[in-house]
Amino acid sequence: MSSTINQDIASSISSARINKEKRFQIYGVAALLFAMIMLVTLFITIFSKGLSAFIQTKVNLDIELTQEVIDPEGSRDLNVLKQANYQKLIDDSLKLYALNLFDKDEKELIKNLRMILSPIAYLELRNLVIDNQDFIGKTKKVSFIASDDIDQYFKGKIDMSIPEDDRKITDIQEKFLDDLQSKGQINKVFNKTLFTKSDSREAELSGVLGAVIGSFYSLLIAGLLSIPIGIGAAIYLQEFAKKNRITDFIEININNLAAVPSIVFGLLGLAIFLNMFLMPRSAPLVGGMVLALMTLPKIIIPARAAILAVPESIKQGALALGASHMQSIMHHVLPLAMPAILTGIIIGLAQALGETAPLLMIGMIAFIPDTPLYITDPATALPVQIFMWADNPERAFVERTSAAIIILLFFLIAMNSIAIYLRQKFERKW
Amino acid sequence: MTDTGIVNISSFNKLKKSKNIKIKAIIKNLSVFYSDKCAVDNVSMNINAREVTAMIGPSGCGKSTFIRCLNRMNDVIENCTVKGSILIDGYDIYHPKIDEVKLRSQIGMVFQKPNPFPKSIYDNVAYGPRLHGIATKKNDLDNIVEESLTKAGLFKEVKDRLNDTAIGLSGGQQQRLCIARTISISPSIILMDEPCSALDPIATAVIEELIENLKKSYTILIVTHNMQQAARVSEKTAFFHLGKLIEFGDTKTIFTNPREKQTLGYITGRYG
Repeated sequence: MSSTINQDIASSISSARINKEKRFQIYGVAALLFAMIMLVTLFITIFSKGLSAFIQTKVNLDIELTQEVIDPEGSRDLNVLKQANYQKLIDDSLKLYALNLFDKDEKELIKNLRMILSPIAYLELRNLVIDNQDFIGKTKKVSFIASDDIDQYFKGKIDMSIPEDDRKITDIQEKFLDDLQSKGQINKVFNKTLFTKSDSREAELSGVLGAVIGSFYSLLIAGLLSIPIGIGAAIYLQEFAKKNRITDFIEININNLAAVPSIVFGLLGLAIFLNMFLMPRSAPLVGGMVLALMTLPKIIIPARAAILAVPESIKQGALALGASHMQSIMHHVLPLAMPAILTGIIIGLAQALGETAPLLMIGMIAFIPDTPLYITDPATALPVQIFMWADNPERAFVERTSAAIIILLFFLIAMNSIAIYLRQKFERKW
Repeated sequence: MTDTGIVNISSFNKLKKSKNIKIKAIIKNLSVFYSDKCAVDNVSMNINAREVTAMIGPSGCGKSTFIRCLNRMNDVIENCTVKGSILIDGYDIYHPKIDEVKLRSQIGMVFQKPNPFPKSIYDNVAYGPRLHGIATKKNDLDNIVEESLTKAGLFKEVKDRLNDTAIGLSGGQQQRLCIARTISISPSIILMDEPCSALDPIATAVIEELIENLKKSYTILIVTHNMQQAARVSEKTAFFHLGKLIEFGDTKTIFTNPREKQTLGYITGRYG
């Protein structure tokens, strides 16, 4: 046997082995690049489409709030104020602006010009008058929400080169609006409606508030149910259950449940919660219960891993000091496992927040213009709202769909950031 | 006092009188099985109070399993069955009416690898007294912590950083902290399962010195791989091999003039 180094080590370096390694690295970088490009594309599309929805065009009109129309007898009675013909005041104002521009049939003209404002313009005016009764008899500049098509026009999303009959903005409207703009009567503000209103047939009046509250209630219920049950189940399975066939069977099933398509949980909710227990349809209560079922395995699995990762020696140290099994878990194992358990919980709930399919099955896909107050009120959820808006043909809903996606992404990123923060703050200390 | 199942005072006293010594524990025909595997095979011995008893023997000979029987830590392990009886101060600790959780508060244990809780030094020592309600006032607790740390020879080193995490201590300091934690609830027996195997020689020397001091007030059982250590610290030595107690007697006799051939083979380093 030779005791010197074999001459193989001096052979050519550019061997097949090194090429193989290099190739592998290139594949890896390529895969990463591909993923990054996809992600960036996704964000660019969503943000370029959606950001404009956070801006709303407003039309400012000088309105003469005449005493005769609003309150002829000067009683200032609320009922009189409520029933006054505010549309006439708006029409009069519009006519005044249009006076020099057109010489057309008045009725047709007013019909055209009314479309510039949202259908609730008269309500906006009414509320303003009721809140400020001293305005009556004066001329005031009032800011109205522009209708969705006008909003799109000012955002440059309407092609004016196509024939008049095929587009949403008539020539009359175009002329009128350009005139208003040159007078400085058009401005753009932050779209508060998007956050303070719920769903509506009119794009300019629709918001995500109802969906956000519906999602919040559903997540609250899902969390209240799945967190204690999940942690309890994990502790029991990991610390107390005897290792036998039944435990193995349960373990396998929990792992399988984590991979069950979410729509199946929706079917289960429909069959059991709605049809058997006759719980309210479309309610966040039921939505939350279905999401809790879906989240449970996603909490139990990481919680078990976290409990398992706590060194046995720490538990034994507590036992040897005369702590009971339960005390050793509550005082030592659980606090040490908590950060990892919390991470699991937050990621599980973040997934539940983005879940659509199970909610469709229990009827949370209705058009619900009211903002839900209680967990049994009909509601929808953010992802479902996105799904419904994406189905709407109006142009303005396209940008609102993307805006709702941005809002959903914001919540998801916020939740995941909390998870990452917790993980780093309570790094394992043993 | 009459004899019940749990308390077997008369036989205890008889033995004490007849031998005229300070007996702490009587172990009779103790066998331990993991599933079918016999880990400790029919061991009987008496442990004297306020003495150090060392268990030596090659790896896997059952000496750790044996001392874990004295505070019923084997109960935690599934499929582990214990046969025979252990009387400590006349109490049959395997009697069904004995609460093993309370038993463990009176028989302390120090483990092979230092296992301080990932908490502050203070909280490590204060955990036991708090758990058993020994000290409720802050002042009393402070005293117990200081006293325990002093007894464990650690107080001087850590008195300025009692609120720092125990994980920052060196291995030897951690082990002394574990000893302080054990004596904070004044056990009557301290079991030590290879307490120095993870420590360097200097830390080991400190622990041995500590054991020397502790045996004035506690009965100590120590498992060790290190025969010199057994010779240095113990009064009695038990030599285990393949689950059987081969020889048990005064440390001096075992190391100078063993009765059994196997013992001689082990202490002279021929196997194990």
